[in-house]
Amino acid sequence: MTTIAVTNDVSARAGASPRTVSRGAALLTLARRRAALSARTPREIVVPLLTPILFALVIAPALATMVHPTDGLDYKTYVAVGTVGLLVPLSCMFAGIGVIVDRDSGARRELLAAPVPRSLMVGGNFVVALAVSTLQLAALMVAAIARGATFHTSGTGVLWFIAAAYLFAVASYGIAEVMANRIPKQEEYIGATPAVAILPWFLAGSLFPIHALPGWLAAVAKILPLTHALAIMRYGLLDRHATGLHDIWGMSSATGMAALSLLVVAIWAVALAGASVRVFAKSAVH
Amino acid sequence: MHTDRIGRPGPAIEVTGLRKTYPGGVEAVRGIDFTVQPGEVFGLLGPNGAGKSTTIGMLTTTIVPTAGNAHLAGHDVVREPLAARQVSSVVFQEAVVDRGLTGRAHLDLHARLWSVEAGVGRRRSAELVEAFGLGEVIDRTVAGYSGGQRRRLEIARALVSEPRVLFLDEPTVGLDTRIRYELLDLIGGLRARREMTTLLTTHYLDEAERLCDRVAVVHAGAIVALDTPERLLARLGEEIVEVRVTGDPRAALARLRQRGLADDDAFAVGATVTVPLHQQQARAILDELAAAGIGSSSVATRKPTLDDIYLQLTGDRLAA
Repeated sequence: MTTIAVTNDVSARAGASPRTVSRGAALLTLARRRAALSARTPREIVVPLLTPILFALVIAPALATMVHPTDGLDYKTYVAVGTVGLLVPLSCMFAGIGVIVDRDSGARRELLAAPVPRSLMVGGNFVVALAVSTLQLAALMVAAIARGATFHTSGTGVLWFIAAAYLFAVASYGIAEVMANRIPKQEEYIGATPAVAILPWFLAGSLFPIHALPGWLAAVAKILPLTHALAIMRYGLLDRHATGLHDIWGMSSATGMAALSLLVVAIWAVALAGASVRVFAKSAVH
Repeated sequence: MHTDRIGRPGPAIEVTGLRKTYPGGVEAVRGIDFTVQPGEVFGLLGPNGAGKSTTIGMLTTTIVPTAGNAHLAGHDVVREPLAARQVSSVVFQEAVVDRGLTGRAHLDLHARLWSVEAGVGRRRSAELVEAFGLGEVIDRTVAGYSGGQRRRLEIARALVSEPRVLFLDEPTVGLDTRIRYELLDLIGGLRARREMTTLLTTHYLDEAERLCDRVAVVHAGAIVALDTPERLLARLGEEIVEVRVTGDPRAALARLRQRGLADDDAFAVGATVTVPLHQQQARAILDELAAAGIGSSSVATRKPTLDDIYLQLTGDRLAA
């Protein structure tokens, strides 16, 4: 019979309440695990990039030769920002597959047995989804610039872009986490991905302004977080007159409209992030 | 180690009136009570669906009890779930690993989440890798591990935090016989960790007999017997006779009881009547069955095992 060495330090175990790992350290550990798993599945990073990069490199320049400038804006650049609205949801939905793999054949139960708040498991996934989205956004922007997109950037403009992009990414990953925890099979999840990641893109002013939509569809578009996020991102990087924001709010103050749209995206982000934690907890604990 | 009011070590696991009813009214656990002392190896023995895994789920805080309470090293699993999880580790029935990560990454992850200091974690991991014979594969991804290697890794992982309570949920299920016996040897070796309490669930009776200090036999969500394996076995005496009858086994059992040749501890499962031999002889039993016109296709006398205890406690009840 194998005998395992006794190394217990009894004195260290005395005391009423055992020391648990700090939330920050636990979040970092869980994010590192998720990052290590994502790094071993490059499809999570590469596949969501393919369509947006195709738009930025091929389709947008081709359309730009046929389409007049939209509200005085360079169409290549207009579409380059629009493809952010395709890239981020696709990237987050792909990240959600990792949640299903964790549940079905991964180490989720070990993590549930760990002495850390379970909401941090979702937090660790969020951190990595945002990091991957950041890398992909950078790749998309580099591709767009290489193909002739021209951004009129300022410090404040970049901040508007970043705030809108990150809050939209939080909302997108929130949806992905909710779906991954509610949908029983990976096949069903993948089947639902176009409805969540691509359908809103056609309605949210990605390729054309929302005032070109029929009135009722424009009203639907104004509810979507993507419509607001894209209008802010364009305001930050190319649309100094905030025409996209004006289509939504019809106000004269560009900053005021951007702030209102950012608030809308933030509300979506907070609501969906909260929902993702609640749905995870319900699916993990019976 | 937590202590009681006068400084004695308290129980490692204390379960009182624990009950779980799932939505839809399925009563998985029907109010169970047991206490496990520090260092003890305690077995929950029962078939699939008996409520063992639900009990483990409640103790590891992934299932919320409907009623009752449970403490691990003095920590209430409902009110202090983080503390309860800090003092415990689990080896699950099915593989719970990240196939894309190395074995070492699994040990490291566990150490970090259970707040094991980095140097201590590395030292313990190295000891466990050696003791569990994982040296050659520890830096490979788990996807390439055999079933036995993966199981050993999972047990090693659970030990990195030196838990005061270790849960082993059907640790050998699905493994081939050779690996199963190797693993039993390994689990038996954990007894050297005298500060560690082990709660083992199994439906392999030999496993419970070999490893456990005490065994609770679980049937339909309730504990129907709880004692040491030796005392449980002693209930059936030194020897039993097993008769496979060609007629109605219930009628055979009733006849033997009527004639004073079988006590209440005799039982019938399927076509087999099992009678503990106290004063009576096997020959007298066979003669009586023949006299009643009940044929027998096979007869065997042997020492009782936990299988017999289990069948007596559950099979007969199921058939009743």
